[in-house]
Amino acid sequence: MTDTADTDTVQGDEPVTMMEYFMSLRYSDVVSPPVMRFRDALLEGRLIAQQCPICKLVYVPPKGYCPIDTIELDERNEIQLADRGTVTNFTVVTPVQYYGQKETEPFVRASILLDPPGGMLILQDVVDVPIDEVRPGMRVEAVWAPKDERDVDEIGNRSGSALDGSLRGFRPTGEPDTPADAFSDKVW
Amino acid sequence: MAALKDVAIIGYAQARNERRAQATEVQFLFPVINEALEMSKIPRREIGFTCAGSCDYLSGQTFAFVMNLEAVGAWPPISESHVEMDGAWALYEAWVRLQHEDIDTALVFGSGKSSPGPPAEIFPLQMDPYTLTPLGLDPVSIAAIQGRALLDAGKVTERQMAEIAARSRRDAMKNPYAQVTGDFDVDELLAQPYIAAPLRMHDIPPISDGACAVVLATAEKAREVCERPAWIRGIDHRIEAHQPGMRDLTTSVSTRLAGDAAGARSAPIEVAELSATFTHQEPILCEALGLGDDVAINPSGGALAANPVMAVGLARIAEAAKQIVEGGHGRTVGHATSGMCLQQNLVCVLESD
Repeated sequence: MTDTADTDTVQGDEPVTMMEYFMSLRYSDVVSPPVMRFRDALLEGRLIAQQCPICKLVYVPPKGYCPIDTIELDERNEIQLADRGTVTNFTVVTPVQYYGQKETEPFVRASILLDPPGGMLILQDVVDVPIDEVRPGMRVEAVWAPKDERDVDEIGNRSGSALDGSLRGFRPTGEPDTPADAFSDKVW
Repeated sequence: MAALKDVAIIGYAQARNERRAQATEVQFLFPVINEALEMSKIPRREIGFTCAGSCDYLSGQTFAFVMNLEAVGAWPPISESHVEMDGAWALYEAWVRLQHEDIDTALVFGSGKSSPGPPAEIFPLQMDPYTLTPLGLDPVSIAAIQGRALLDAGKVTERQMAEIAARSRRDAMKNPYAQVTGDFDVDELLAQPYIAAPLRMHDIPPISDGACAVVLATAEKAREVCERPAWIRGIDHRIEAHQPGMRDLTTSVSTRLAGDAAGARSAPIEVAELSATFTHQEPILCEALGLGDDVAINPSGGALAANPVMAVGLARIAEAAKQIVEGGHGRTVGHATSGMCLQQNLVCVLESD
């Protein structure tokens, strides 16, 4: 053993039983081609999707493939969606003020089945109506943000149908409710 | 261990490796799985078992491995499993599963999208969390320690390392899936600066996004659908101590044990596809497997030409199978590795009829 002053070592009172290690990892995605087209369409005020030519399922945002029929999809399978539809299911979220939570009052997240050719949007806001009036079957239409205020920066491969940078939400149209039978197999 | 029940590779496919794929992992898996199934002539719905290898940390997406199943066709539900390892270990699990005899085919795939994250920060997280992870010991730095140990032991020279890189990149010119290819002069490579001494850029694998898929079949099924199957004559994997300071980094005991158990030395090998992700690891692996100068090493360009983490080992087995199915060879070996500095190794010996 060498007789040197070791300034990096401090004698502790007790053995080490726990240590902290803080880490963060930063990932950056390249937006995939079908989602890029979805973003471009949103900026124009359009909702697009891909429809499988075999099972006819509608994928919004477009995936680039149909997992049911295991075929690749591209622009040729692209369709334009309606921006109105029917609330099929919803939940009311009462926000807890955790870090990053921007909401302060209870709000709705609804699943909306768009009118033909179809397509299901999940986690959509329903606006211009008291929360206790939101119900399955309610007819709604998209409230687009003004064109120069639309922001698609948050839309990437992992964002699903989070559209709040482009849509203010969906508001009731006042039309008669859609009968439950028409969407009971599409409740998400 | 030596194969109990005959199992063969009857289909394989790979993605073209890219530094930064614009497609998502599922999107670039799609054509790979479709192509492997097509080659095997096994209808998708008849596949008895599916096993995948991938790592959610790479792309930083929770349950990415579940999403990858969308490329398989998992509805109606299928029988499947996943290993948080290179797809070569998924192949091992599928091979074990086929020993049960109640199914006759299996689909195996490995995929990885390394480009979204910082590999030098992600990989230290697989080290022990008390003494090594906080040091930020990344794969290139620790490989440099291994390279230095090898140079000091006189087992390799920097020139030999550069020659391995030049040969790999030249061979990779014929590989449509490779990422780093070309004709390079050894002296010019040696004139390049060190990245982490004694490693230069050519000693280090590229960062790759890629995937590989393989279809396995039992003997009866393989003979029914395939003219020239690549038979798995032996497959084995061994692991060494997690702490790299506890082993001699200039040799690979686990590769030697796995190779011996798989029968690598029991008859001459014609072609070897080795997961030597750093140039200096090639001589370590050749020594461990008893491969002499007469063996063609990594005719695909190997892991130095493309390193799709979680798929690169399975791709070596697929390339070794290709040497039998398409290349007319009689006996080849595929090798996969996991962990830092060849900590864990899998050896798969393949033969023609």
